[in-house]
Amino acid sequence: MILALVVITALAFDFTNGFHDTANAMATSIATKALRPKTAVALSGVLNLVGAFLSVEVALTVTNAVVKIQDKSGAPKAELLADGGSGLLLIILAGLVGGIVWNLLTWLLGLPSSSSHALFGGLVGATLAGLGVAGVNWNGDGSKLDGVVGKVLLPAVISPVIAGVVAVVGTWIIFKITAGVAARFTEKGFRWGQIGSASLVSLAHGTNDAQKTMGVITLALIASGHWDDLENIPLWVKVSAALAIALGTYLGGWRIIRTLGKGITDITPPQGTAAQSGAAAVILASSHLGFALSTTHVATGSVIGSGLGRPGATVRWAVAGRMVLAWLITLPSAGLVGAAMWYVGDAVGGMAGALVVFALLVAASGAMYLRSRSGKVDHENVNDDWDGAAVQPVTPIPAAAAN
Amino acid sequence: MHNLDFALTGAWQVLLAGLALGAGLPILFALGIRSLAWGAGEASVNTSGVTAGTKRPLGTALGYALFAVVVLGVLLGLTFIVASGFGYKLDFSHIYPTLVEK
Repeated sequence: MILALVVITALAFDFTNGFHDTANAMATSIATKALRPKTAVALSGVLNLVGAFLSVEVALTVTNAVVKIQDKSGAPKAELLADGGSGLLLIILAGLVGGIVWNLLTWLLGLPSSSSHALFGGLVGATLAGLGVAGVNWNGDGSKLDGVVGKVLLPAVISPVIAGVVAVVGTWIIFKITAGVAARFTEKGFRWGQIGSASLVSLAHGTNDAQKTMGVITLALIASGHWDDLENIPLWVKVSAALAIALGTYLGGWRIIRTLGKGITDITPPQGTAAQSGAAAVILASSHLGFALSTTHVATGSVIGSGLGRPGATVRWAVAGRMVLAWLITLPSAGLVGAAMWYVGDAVGGMAGALVVFALLVAASGAMYLRSRSGKVDHENVNDDWDGAAVQPVTPIPAAAAN
Repeated sequence: MHNLDFALTGAWQVLLAGLALGAGLPILFALGIRSLAWGAGEASVNTSGVTAGTKRPLGTALGYALFAVVVLGVLLGLTFIVASGFGYKLDFSHIYPTLVEK
């Protein structure tokens, strides 16, 4: 069953989405020791799980932002179902593989990059290969912010700037206000400020990102004729997607957490509060205004901003530059993988083609996992994680954050 | 480039809302911390040991009042997340937020 492979791959993507984005919510709290590392990822995981269930909205049309494989109601385009939906399933499968491979590669390098952009990139690449240039929604139809330009490229440029400005202002004023106040007040106060704002980011992440996977799985179910309700999502899809993202979050992408929490700038509790509140406000405001921003870009922009706003703090621009580079190449890179996977799957053909694509994903994931082991990053032991991450050239910080 | 127009319009609104809530609430929070510290008075160390400073109840009360405002802001954020998940959105046309169906 190609469908089974698509579902497994979609849940795998959801899982990588979770551990890739733990850093967005929790990196600052872990770096300032407001929360112990394991407590932080557990809290974030639970909030992601809750968040995933909080939303009853159907995100069935999630792929419409970048590709044209569904109509406005969310049903797959009729002409794509002529072959029983297997062509559409191959596009989805190849796109998901592109997203996962890019997520794992950026995790291996310790770079925070947008999981949504990786998914969109993979889908665009697979659609380009499968349906040609006309299959991609490049620029929307002019009625709203839409398409590859409106949903991916512009937000990628704008969101870190907005979040950065908010965090600069917040951090700078907070430091002015609390200058000279005894540490026993600031430490305790800002500890709670950080935990609260980080929790909001986690919850918002769960409501937004788990929906994408649910939408993709349901689309695959409809394409293969196993589901026909455009208004609802099967309960098992909801439960499994929520569990996958929560589990991924709980495991935690420690390499990325380290880069975001320690690599860009040295964060103090007031900065962490300002950065995380700024991120939470920008994410919520943008989703309220229908201006979809990437959580990753917002969180990273906030951290950079908090580094710029604190008097005497330095931002390591080499690290920030690497991140920006990763953002720029996320869409095309995931797209290349997605396209390559589609060509491989199409050349082999049918069930065997899907199996080959899936086997390639397993091989690539396994290789990157083994590579991460040789860097001595152990996900079971937080202390080892921080020590092991010293192999990363971008983070010359002693492992003092381990506690 | 209609997308650029939409994006720039949206970006301004997000920036303003972000500054008001994302920078404003932490600033109130910081003011609250400063008030609490002021309310607790300044401790001084001398030969007879540590002497606690004079308490200023006004500072303590003001501090907690500021925290309450921040908590309200956070609750608003929570309400937004939950409500939008259930097909409602926050409407600010009456200044105070109300829930309306999307």
